[in-house]
Amino acid sequence: MSSTLRPYLTAVRNTLHAAMCVDNFSSQVVERHNKPEVEVRTSHELLLTPVLISRNEREKVLIEGSINSVRISISVKQADDIERILCKKFMRFMMMRAENFIVLRRKAVDGYDISFLITNFHTEQMYKHKLVDFVLHFMEEIDKEISEMKLAVNARARICAEEFLKRF
Amino acid sequence: MTTNTLSSAFRKIDVDLYNEDSYREDEQGEPQSPPAGPDPSEVTALLDAGNNIEALKVVLRNAPLSSRNQQVKDAAVQLTLKVLMSFKSSQIDEAIAALDTETIDVLMKYIYRGFEFPSEKRSGQLLIWHEKVYAIGGAGSIVRVLTDTKRA
Amino acid sequence: MSEKYSFGVNPITCHAWNKERSQLASSPNNHEVHIYQRGGPGCEWPLTDVLEQHDLRVTGIDWAPNTNRIVTCAADRNAYVWTQTEDGKWKPTLVLLRINRAATCVRWSPKENKFAVGSGARLISVCYFEKGNDWWVSKHIKKPIRSTVTCLDWHPNNWLLAAGSADFKVRVFSGLIKEVEGTPTEPSKWAAKTTLGTCLAEFCNSNLGGGWIRSVSFSEDGNRLCWVSHDASICLVDITKGLTVHKLRSKHLPFLNCVWVGPSAIVVSVGSCLQLNLILSIGFDKNAHFLNILPCSAMRKFQSLDRQARLESSDTELETVHQNAITCLRIYKGERGSASKLSTSGADGQLVIWDLQVNSPLKFQNV
Repeated sequence: MSSTLRPYLTAVRNTLHAAMCVDNFSSQVVERHNKPEVEVRTSHELLLTPVLISRNEREKVLIEGSINSVRISISVKQADDIERILCKKFMRFMMMRAENFIVLRRKAVDGYDISFLITNFHTEQMYKHKLVDFVLHFMEEIDKEISEMKLAVNARARICAEEFLKRF
Repeated sequence: MTTNTLSSAFRKIDVDLYNEDSYREDEQGEPQSPPAGPDPSEVTALLDAGNNIEALKVVLRNAPLSSRNQQVKDAAVQLTLKVLMSFKSSQIDEAIAALDTETIDVLMKYIYRGFEFPSEKRSGQLLIWHEKVYAIGGAGSIVRVLTDTKRA
Repeated sequence: MSEKYSFGVNPITCHAWNKERSQLASSPNNHEVHIYQRGGPGCEWPLTDVLEQHDLRVTGIDWAPNTNRIVTCAADRNAYVWTQTEDGKWKPTLVLLRINRAATCVRWSPKENKFAVGSGARLISVCYFEKGNDWWVSKHIKKPIRSTVTCLDWHPNNWLLAAGSADFKVRVFSGLIKEVEGTPTEPSKWAAKTTLGTCLAEFCNSNLGGGWIRSVSFSEDGNRLCWVSHDASICLVDITKGLTVHKLRSKHLPFLNCVWVGPSAIVVSVGSCLQLNLILSIGFDKNAHFLNILPCSAMRKFQSLDRQARLESSDTELETVHQNAITCLRIYKGERGSASKLSTSGADGQLVIWDLQVNSPLKFQNV
């Protein structure tokens, strides 16, 4: 199972390096505007082919590139209902605070759990390889985080049940 | 306010499409002889004979990238995936070494296309392919998957 | 080896040199253009003037060496020609570009009597000085450009203009202004027709479609045209041998700039993404391939780091000279086709001067 994790992350890393070649580009549709082309989608020629990297049916990453921005959408492993609920709540928690994460998108792309939007302004201010590292680090940690939370929830449920059943 | 004005569908109309100077895809029209894609029987015969590398070359050389018939493309994708799955991990290096730069770019396109049909086994195999093709083709091969408008 | 100067943390979007290479005009990724004078030790680049007239990000600067005029263009759809007054300050003159989208690039013609501005309005403005009204006016080249013009280069004969755009095509236009120069006498191999705006040649970047053109460059004799595009390839057309495009696909990340440094050698800058922010020098023989990579050791070192996919926090500094994308590449010493030093500016706020003789064992003359 975990044997595919390393090649999966390597493939995502290499693809991100290639897709994150972004440049400052003023809108050619609206005067004096500068918008992430991957979001506005007004000029077809400025978008790159979207690519998907999957590890299995559940775990996949969609990378959509354009001349001045990249959108990365991640689908996280969710084995059962508890993981599904935890994932949803956790992602919601983060997306509500998206501005603190700078590159986080406020809403995930349809079919994915969380999305990042990286524009040329981010790559100018931050090291690009560090941005890639951040996304990779996030992907590694999120699985761990969710399984830890699941354990915590289960442990708590067990204590609750024990306390409750003591009465009988 | 009438119910008509509540409709927001008109906002979705892409008016810029009608600008005469806006970019249009493929103005040159359909190529004279649209590529038919690789011949399944030929490829299957090569696979049955255990000649995986030759089968890979055949599917990549005849890849219908410029075709606009989605069925032809999908058939080629499935056939290519079948060929890719038939390799043992130890054979992959040898196979990639037998390809030239342009075919490696085509191979990379099919690997990414294959990721769109995820399954535990297939994705695992494709990830190995991806790693090995990247080692030869470098970032350039991924960049061309992203930029080329003629897709797998 | 190479001289390295830092101008703060802001990206340097573009830079240009004066004729003596003693002064530098650069833009720190905003509406200003800074003029620096090469100084002594202690303060290497004292700031002598700030050109503030644009109100959005400056996208292009070009310094005419002989007439000592600077032209700047910006995302605010304007361009200004700056002339130096007696007291050394720079005075702007507005150019009537008549465009309604951001200007993207600007280039003086070789004779410095006109310049071309590319824009997001899918057109090129060729601008010249009208004496009667005492201002710069422009004529448009519109057809058949389908997307933002990303780069321009003048042919040495002063009337042919090559333009690359985001619709994956490179075109050669006639940029002849009859009011300025009459009709050209010397024949050109590219075309016989001279009317302004005629598209004389159109090249598709790739037979597989795609790849925004990043930079175009005519060779010294004007017979060859090379361009680099976003599909990490470099293309070459030799007009004396017809309109065939020689394309070389590389293993690297997309190239951003290209410049002829020898009769058959081109330097391209790689990168817009991390690891390969260095310069490759390549030569074209019959098959055209990469002959040399300038700072080899740094690259190899980084590749080995990359292979191990290091994640520790100690890898913030890159091993390459530039820490971010190279935004602009200029000849520092020598001429087009015989350059010995190059300067690059990067999104990391650095300006680096490269000595080709030292940095590369390649003998450009012999290639």
